[in-house]
Amino acid sequence: MPTDLFAHTSLTELYSNAKGATFQCDRTNRLIVQFGDARIALRVADFVTFKRRVDSVDIHTMLFNLDDAYDVEIISAPRTDHLFVLTLCDLIALRDLLDGTRFVLDLNSLLCERLYTSLVY
Amino acid sequence: MKDLVRMRTSLKEEIERILNEQIKMEAHSSAIYLSMASWCDRNGFDYSANYFYKQSNEERNHMLKIFKYVADMGGTAVSPEVTNVPQDFAGFRDIFELALEQEIAVTHSINRIVDAARRVYDFNTEEFMMWFVKEQREEEYVARRAVELFDVIGEEGVGRYMIDKAIPKISYDGGEAE
Repeated sequence: MPTDLFAHTSLTELYSNAKGATFQCDRTNRLIVQFGDARIALRVADFVTFKRRVDSVDIHTMLFNLDDAYDVEIISAPRTDHLFVLTLCDLIALRDLLDGTRFVLDLNSLLCERLYTSLVY
Repeated sequence: MKDLVRMRTSLKEEIERILNEQIKMEAHSSAIYLSMASWCDRNGFDYSANYFYKQSNEERNHMLKIFKYVADMGGTAVSPEVTNVPQDFAGFRDIFELALEQEIAVTHSINRIVDAARRVYDFNTEEFMMWFVKEQREEEYVARRAVELFDVIGEEGVGRYMIDKAIPKISYDGGEAE
């Protein structure tokens, strides 16, 4: 699923939504997350940690607590200098982006496993 | 397109998650046993206190065993946060009944991990967990035998003193017939 923009690079688009897109770089073995103006490159282990942090935010509290402190959530991306300051809508979009990415990664992993198995026989 | 997920580890995320939950459970068990040791110490049950110190240490070693496995497999082993450790108990017998309940809960949890590993064809984890399956036979036996001592000896008179002395002598022969 390479996009035209990245057709001649090692980047492959994994998933996109209205607020961002993710790519896989086969040269550096990194995942690139483009979200709004932010662009970060993560190793898979860091991507999993980042996703865990994003998933652990209590959306219910953000929705119903009227205190200003609950209007935004600040999440750091592991081993990058970037801090994401997320509103509720941002958070939902980022969750969707990371969920979609995780799904494509697992699907690719499954396909690779099946293809490898068929080669053995 | 490279398979980045499997470049990291063959451990599936679900398995990594439940193993980390087990790490937390073993750490919690270790903390509870330490708390029980403290209770026994301050109520004059010296032998039982030593028994629980030993049990606490064993549970911590179990935790480390799983922790190391997750790390060795390329996963992320999470150092657990241990909360809600009871510091007081209703009585001498209650402690041992609670310890037996705890061991049964651990056995169920380990069975669930083996089941999950089988479902995703993770034979490595299944084989690793077999050590714990066997270990739980001993843990449950010892905990059950301790509770039974209360019925066999009785708590009246010097009963509690006798029970306390008998606790460290409980041993499991692995179910081997002579």
